[in-house]
Amino acid sequence: MPSKLKKSLIYWAFLSPLVVVILFPFAVMLVTAVRPRDELFVYPPRWGFSEFRWDNFAEMWVKTNFGEALFNSLYVSVLSTVLALVLSIPAAYALSRYPFPGKGAYRTFLLMTQMMSPIVLVLGLFRLMVALGMVGNLNSLVLTYAAFNMAFTIWMLQSYFSTIPRDLEEAAWIDGASHLNSLIRIFLPLAVPAMAVTAIFSFINGWNEFVLALTMIRSSDDFTLPVQIYSQVAGRYQVEWHHVMAGTVLATVPVAIVFSWLQKYLIRGMALGAVK
Amino acid sequence: MKSLNGFKPLAMILPGLLLAMFIIGYPVLDLANTSLQEVSRFGQLRGFTGFDNFAEVFSDPLFWGSLKRTAIWTVTVVLGTLVISLPIAIILNDDFYGRGVARVIIMLPWAISLTMTAVVWRWALNGRAGLLNATLMDMGIMTEPIEWLAEAQLAFTVEMMIGILVSIPFTTTIFLGGLSSLPQDSYEASMVDGATRWDQFRYITLPLMKPFINIAIVLNVIYVFNSLPIIWVMTEGGPANGTDILVTYLYKLAFRFGQLGKASAISLIMFGVLLLFTVIYVVLVMRDEKDTAAGEDE
Repeated sequence: MPSKLKKSLIYWAFLSPLVVVILFPFAVMLVTAVRPRDELFVYPPRWGFSEFRWDNFAEMWVKTNFGEALFNSLYVSVLSTVLALVLSIPAAYALSRYPFPGKGAYRTFLLMTQMMSPIVLVLGLFRLMVALGMVGNLNSLVLTYAAFNMAFTIWMLQSYFSTIPRDLEEAAWIDGASHLNSLIRIFLPLAVPAMAVTAIFSFINGWNEFVLALTMIRSSDDFTLPVQIYSQVAGRYQVEWHHVMAGTVLATVPVAIVFSWLQKYLIRGMALGAVK
Repeated sequence: MKSLNGFKPLAMILPGLLLAMFIIGYPVLDLANTSLQEVSRFGQLRGFTGFDNFAEVFSDPLFWGSLKRTAIWTVTVVLGTLVISLPIAIILNDDFYGRGVARVIIMLPWAISLTMTAVVWRWALNGRAGLLNATLMDMGIMTEPIEWLAEAQLAFTVEMMIGILVSIPFTTTIFLGGLSSLPQDSYEASMVDGATRWDQFRYITLPLMKPFINIAIVLNVIYVFNSLPIIWVMTEGGPANGTDILVTYLYKLAFRFGQLGKASAISLIMFGVLLLFTVIYVVLVMRDEKDTAAGEDE
C-alpha cells in the first residue's frame, strides 16, 4: 500500500516539530539526571557529557529526603482517592439507576464544581484549614483533593455504570436476590474496571497537585513530591540541577507510563459522559 | 422498594454532596465575608469596611497589569492550542503507520504535573547552561546563549508557548471524541461530488465539530485562566511583576504580602469570572445533551 506509506510520511512530517518539542524536556531531564555535577555549567552549553553517573539517583534520594516526600505523596493520593471513591460510587450508582427529585440540579452542581479550581479559593481553603486546626497536616490535602476530585469521579463512574445493563440486576431480583445482594454479586464485579480506571486518574490528580500542597504544608518533612522538587529550585542561589532532574525522572516516569497505558479509557470516559 | 424510590438515591448522594458543599462552599462564604472587612496580616477580621478592599484593588496598577496579562495569556494559549490541536486530531483520527506511537507521544505532556514540566523547562531555558541554548547553538541558529527568563516579555512569551504545549493533549482528546462521532457517509457523498479535502474540512468537518470546538474553548479558558504552576515555577510572576497574571498576583498578595482583604477581593472577582465561564459551559453541555437525548429518543 504505497498510498498509506506516503500518507504516513506526510503525517509524521507534519507532527514531527510537535513531537520534538514534547520529547525535548524528557531528554533534558534524563541527560541532566545522569550527568556528573561539574559538567552542569559548562561553556558553551552542550548535550554531551563524559560518563553516566547513576549514583546521582542514590545521592539525590538521601540529600533531598526523596523517600519521605514519596511516602507523603502516596499517602495523600491514595487516601484522597479512597475517600473520593467511597463517596462517589453510591452517588454515581444513584445517578445511573434511579430518578430522584433534584437530579437535574445535582448534575448541574457537579458540572459546576468540576470547573471550580482550588486556586481561586485557595485563601478561603487555607482559612478553613486554620479554623479546623489542620494547617500543616497532610489530611487537609486528603479532604480537599477528595472534595475537588469528586465531581470528576462521579461523572466518570456514572458514565460507565450507565453502560452496565440493568437487566442483569433485575433478573437477579426476580430470582429472589435482595437488592444489596444483587448489588454486591452482580453489579460490583462488572463495575470493577470502571472503578479501577477512575481511581487511577484520581490518584494521578492528587499526585500532581501543586498549589494546595504548597499552601497547606509548612514543614519540609510533610512536603509532597511536587512541592519538594519545587523547593529545591525556588529561592536558591545554588540549585543542584542534577538532583532536581533525577527527582523529576523518578516522580514522573512511572506515572507517565501508567497514564499512557490508560489514556484510552479516559478518552472513552470523557466521550461517554463529561464532554459528550 | 417503590416508597424508597425518592429517599434512597438521595441518601446515596448526600455524603459526597455534604463534603463538596463544605469544602467548596465554606471558602466561598468566608472569602465573601473577608473581602468586606479590614483584615490584619495574620488573618484577624477587624470589622466591616464596605467595599474598601475592592476600591483598593481597582486603584492598584499591578492588578490592572495582571488582568491585562491574564487576558493575553488566556486568549493566546487557548487560540494557539485550538489551532494546533484540530489538525492533529484529524491526523490521529486517520489511519497511518505508527499512529499508536504518535498518540502516546502527543498525550504525554498530560501525564506529567505542570510543576514538574515547569521545573524541567526552567532548567532547559537556563541562560548559561540550558540545553535549549545548547541545541540552538549546535544548530548554528545563534552564537551566544540567551537569557530566556531574565526579561519579562520574552519570559512571558516562552511561558505561553509552554502553556499551549501542555494544553494540546486534552484538547486533542476532545476533538478525537468529536471526530469519531462524525457520519462517514457525508464524506463519501462529498467525494462523489468531487469535493477536495479542503472543501470537506471547510464544509463538513468544521461545522459538525462546532459543538466540540465550543466545549474545548470554554474548558480551556477555565483551565488556562486558573493555571498557576507554569508561571509560578518558572518566574514567580517576575521580573518586576512583568509576568504576573491574576492567579500569581493573588497568591503573592495572600501568602507573601499578607494583604488578605485585597486578596479576598481578587479571589471573589475571579470566582465571579469563573462562575460566568462555568455557566456558559453548563449551558453548552446541557444543550448538547438535550440534542443527543432527542436524537437517541431516550
